[in-house]
Amino acid sequence: MTNLPLWLIPLFPLVATILLGTIAVVSSGGKKGAAEGIVGALAVLFPAMSFAVVAILAYGMPEAGIRETLCNWIDIPLFKADIGFMFDGLSRIMLLFVTGIGTLITMYSIGYMHGDRGFARFFAYINLFLFSMIVLVLSDNLLLTFLGWEGVGLCSYLLIGFWNKDVNNCKAANKAFIVNRVGDIGFLLGMLCLVTVGGSGILNYDALTSFIQMIMTAGHVEIVLPVLSLTGLLFFIGCTGKSAQIPLLTWLPDAMAGPTPVSALIHAATMVTSGVYLLARLGSMFAILPVVLDIITVIGMLTAFWAAMAGLFQNDIKKVLAYSTISQLGYMFMAAGVCAFDASIFHVFTHAFFKAALFLGAGAVIHALAGEQDMRKMGGLVKKTPVTACVMIFAFFAIIGFPGFAGFWSKDLILERLFMSGPMGPAFYVIGLFTAVITAVYMGRLIILTFFGEYRGSKESEEHIHEAPACMLLPMVILAFGAIFAGYLWADSIGITFFRDSLAPVVGSAQAYAATMHSAAHVNPMIFAGLGTLAALLGMFIAYKVYGNARVPAAKGSSAPEGRKATWTFFFDYVHKYCGIIPVQVLAWICDVVVDKILQATQWTLGAIATILGDGATVIQVRKVRLQVAFSVAGVAALVLVVLLTGGLI
Amino acid sequence: MLALIYFIILAVIALGAAVCVFLSRHPLYGALSLVTSMVALAGIYGLIGSPFLGVVQIMVYAGAIMMLVTFVIMVLNGARDSKTPMFDKVSFFVIPAVLVLAGLVGFALVGAPLAFDETALRGSVALTSRTLFDVAQTGPGYFMLFEVLGLLLLSAMVAAVLLAKKRLGSVQSENTEEGH
Amino acid sequence: MELQPIYIQILALAIFALGLMTAISRRNLFFVLMGVELALNAVNLSFIGFSKTLPADMSVTGQIVPLFSIAVAAAEACVGFAMVILLFRKKESVDSDNYSNMKG
Repeated sequence: MTNLPLWLIPLFPLVATILLGTIAVVSSGGKKGAAEGIVGALAVLFPAMSFAVVAILAYGMPEAGIRETLCNWIDIPLFKADIGFMFDGLSRIMLLFVTGIGTLITMYSIGYMHGDRGFARFFAYINLFLFSMIVLVLSDNLLLTFLGWEGVGLCSYLLIGFWNKDVNNCKAANKAFIVNRVGDIGFLLGMLCLVTVGGSGILNYDALTSFIQMIMTAGHVEIVLPVLSLTGLLFFIGCTGKSAQIPLLTWLPDAMAGPTPVSALIHAATMVTSGVYLLARLGSMFAILPVVLDIITVIGMLTAFWAAMAGLFQNDIKKVLAYSTISQLGYMFMAAGVCAFDASIFHVFTHAFFKAALFLGAGAVIHALAGEQDMRKMGGLVKKTPVTACVMIFAFFAIIGFPGFAGFWSKDLILERLFMSGPMGPAFYVIGLFTAVITAVYMGRLIILTFFGEYRGSKESEEHIHEAPACMLLPMVILAFGAIFAGYLWADSIGITFFRDSLAPVVGSAQAYAATMHSAAHVNPMIFAGLGTLAALLGMFIAYKVYGNARVPAAKGSSAPEGRKATWTFFFDYVHKYCGIIPVQVLAWICDVVVDKILQATQWTLGAIATILGDGATVIQVRKVRLQVAFSVAGVAALVLVVLLTGGLI
Repeated sequence: MLALIYFIILAVIALGAAVCVFLSRHPLYGALSLVTSMVALAGIYGLIGSPFLGVVQIMVYAGAIMMLVTFVIMVLNGARDSKTPMFDKVSFFVIPAVLVLAGLVGFALVGAPLAFDETALRGSVALTSRTLFDVAQTGPGYFMLFEVLGLLLLSAMVAAVLLAKKRLGSVQSENTEEGH
Repeated sequence: MELQPIYIQILALAIFALGLMTAISRRNLFFVLMGVELALNAVNLSFIGFSKTLPADMSVTGQIVPLFSIAVAAAEACVGFAMVILLFRKKESVDSDNYSNMKG
C-alpha cells in the first residue's frame, strides 16, 4: 500500500477543481446555482481522498522520505528543472494538516456557504487552493514550490474578493495580491541568487542541503556568505509577504473581507504558514547565516508584539483573530530565527488547529447573528450557541497556552528555545512572554465580549440566533479536539518527542549546526512551563478584570478602531503610504510632468518644425520625375567630387 | 597592336551608335542604333577574351531584347509621339550633371594603375559552364543563383503577360477599368 | 602601343554616361528604357574589363556576373515593356512627363 505514487495527492484537488469549475461555468447562466448536494459532496470527497492518500503514505514512510520525479519541466542549456515531489518528515506534517484541515473546512463551508450564488465557484477555488498548497509543500525544488506559492496567492486573491459585488472586498483582494507580489519578487530574486551561486541544480532542496554541507566541510563558508546572506534575506522578504510579517503585513487584516472558512483555511491555518515552511525547508541554508537569523528573530518579535497590541484594539471579531494570527506567525518566525525549526513547525501545526477552530467558531457566531461581526453588538451567546462557545473556549485555552492544551506545548517550546539562543536570549524570552500575556488579554476580551454578559444587539435580531447546522459543528468539534490534543505529539515535559523525531531527518542537521554556535545554559524546562502558565493566567485575569464587568461602549457605525488605537493598528499602512505609495506617486508625478508633458512638448515642437520644413521642401518637388533623378545624379557627382578632393575613402 | 586597332574600330562603332541612340528622333532608329552598339560591344568582349559572353550578348541582347523593343515600338506606333521635343529645360540641367559625373569618374580612373594580367582565364564556354554548374560543397555556389534567376525570368514573364493582357482584352474589361 | 584596360573603362564610362543621359533627359519612354539597357551594357563591359586585370582564379567571377546581369536585364525589359504597353493604353502617350499622377 505504501507505494502509492505521490502525484495522486495533488491530483485529487485538481480533478475536483476542474469538475467544480465546469459545473460553476455551466450553471452560471441559470437562475439557480448547481445542486448544492452534488457540489458539496464532490468538494469534500476529493480533498478527503487526498487526505487518505497522505495518511497511507505517512504511515509507511521510510525514514529518509520518498522522492519521485514526475517529468522534465524546463530543459534548456544552463537551466534544468524537474517536476518532482518529495515526501519527507516536513512535508508529511504539512500535508497531513493541509489536507486534513482542508477537508474539515470544506465540509464546514457547505453549511456556511449555503444558499450563496457562487456555491460551486467557491468550492472550485478552495480545491484549487488545496492543489496549489499541496504542490507548494510537496515539491522537491524551489521552482515548483514557487508555482504553488503563486497559486495559493492567486487563490487567496480570488477568495478574498469572492463577494465581488462589494468594491471594498475587491480592494482588499487587490491589496493582498499586490503586497504579496512585493514578497514574491524577493522569492524570485532569491532563487536567482541561488542559481548564480550553484547553478540551476541547486534549486533542488536535497542538492541545496548537500551543497551547504559541502561548503561547510570544505571551510569555504566565508566566500559565499555575502551572496548567501543576500539570498536568505530575499527569501525572508518572500516569507514576510506570504506570512504577513513586518513590513508586509497590512494585507492580512483586510483579507478578512473573504468568507470566514477562507479566513480559517487560507489566512490562518495553511497559506500564511507557508513562509514558515519555506524557512524550515531552507533551514540548512539559514543555519549558516547568523545575520539573517538575527533579522528574522527581531522581525518576528516585533511582529508578534505589535500585532498582539493591535489585536487589543479591534472590535471586529475576525480582525481580532487576524491580528492574533499575525502575532502567532511572529512567534513562529522568532523560533525559526533561533534555528528552532522543529519548534516553529510544531507551532504551525498546533496553531493550524486552534486558529482554524477559532475562525470556524467566529464564522458560526457570524452565521448565527446573520452577518454581524462587531463584538460590541454580541454578548451572552454561550446560552444560545453552547457548542460553538465550547469550541471557541477550548481553542482560546489552546492559544493562550493554558497547561495541557496544544498551544501550551508549542509556545512553551518556542519560548524555551528563545531563552537558550545565546546572549540576547533572555531579552527575547521576556518580550515573548509579555506578548503571551497580551495574547491572553485580547483573546480573553474576545471570548468575554462574545459569549458572556448580556446580549447587546437589537431585540428582534436576538430571536433569530441559532446554533450552526451539524455539518458546520462537526469540523469545529474535531478541530477543537485537535486544539486540545495536538500538543501531545511533542510534550517534552512528559517525555513525548514524536514530532521532533519525525522532523529530525529534515531540519536536524541544521539545528545541530546552530546549536554548536552557542553554548546553552541548561535551565529546568519546568520553570518555563510554570512561567508560561503564569503568563496565561495573568492575561486571563487582566481580561476578566478589565472587560468582565466593564460596560462595553455602544457600537457606533463602523467597527474600525479610532484615535490612537487606529494609529497603532494602521501604523504599517501609514508606513507603506509614506515609504512606498507616496514616493511612487511623486515619481509618477515627475514621470508625468517630465516624460509626458515636457517630452511631448519637445516632440510637438520638433514635429511642427519638421512640418514647416517639409512644406517648404515640397516647393522644389516639381512634377517631373526626371528632374528628381537629375538631382540625384548631380548629388552623386558632388559626392564623387568630395571623395576625390579629400583623397578617397582610405 | 592589332588588338588595339580592332578595339578602336569597335569602340568607335559602339560609341557612335550610343550617340545615335541619344540623338535619334524616332524610337525605331534608336532601337537599331542600340543593336549596332550591342553587337560592337559583343565584339569587344570577344576581343578581350570572353567569347562566351559575347555570344550571349548577341543572342540575348541584340537578339531577344531588341526584338522585343522593336516589336513593341511597331505595335504601339511609337512614331506618333516623335513630335514631342527631344530635349527640354530639364535636359540642360541633366546633361552637364552627367558629364561632370563622368568627367570626375574618368579622372579617378585615369589616375588608377591598371594592367592586364597574363594569367587571367579566357571566358570560354567550358570555363563558364564549369564555374556556373559547380555543385560541389566548396564551389562558388552560382548554381543556386542560376536557378533563382530562372524563377525570376519565369515570374517576369508571367507578370508581363498579366500586365499586358487586360488592356488588350475585351471592351468590357476596359469599361470596368474606366469605372474606377 | 598595346590595348590598355583603361581604354575599356573609358569606353564603358562614355557609354554609361550616354545611357544615363538618354534615360534621364529623353522624354519618350522607349528611349528611357533603351538608355537603361545601354547603361547596363556599359556596366557589363566594365566588369569584363576589370576581370581581365586580375590573376587566374579571381578573373572568373567578373566573367560570370555579367551573365546574371544580362538575364536580369532581360527580365527588366520584359516587365518594362509590358508596363509601357499598359501606360500607352491608358494615356495614349509615351511621354514620361504625362505620367505625373503620383505628384505630391
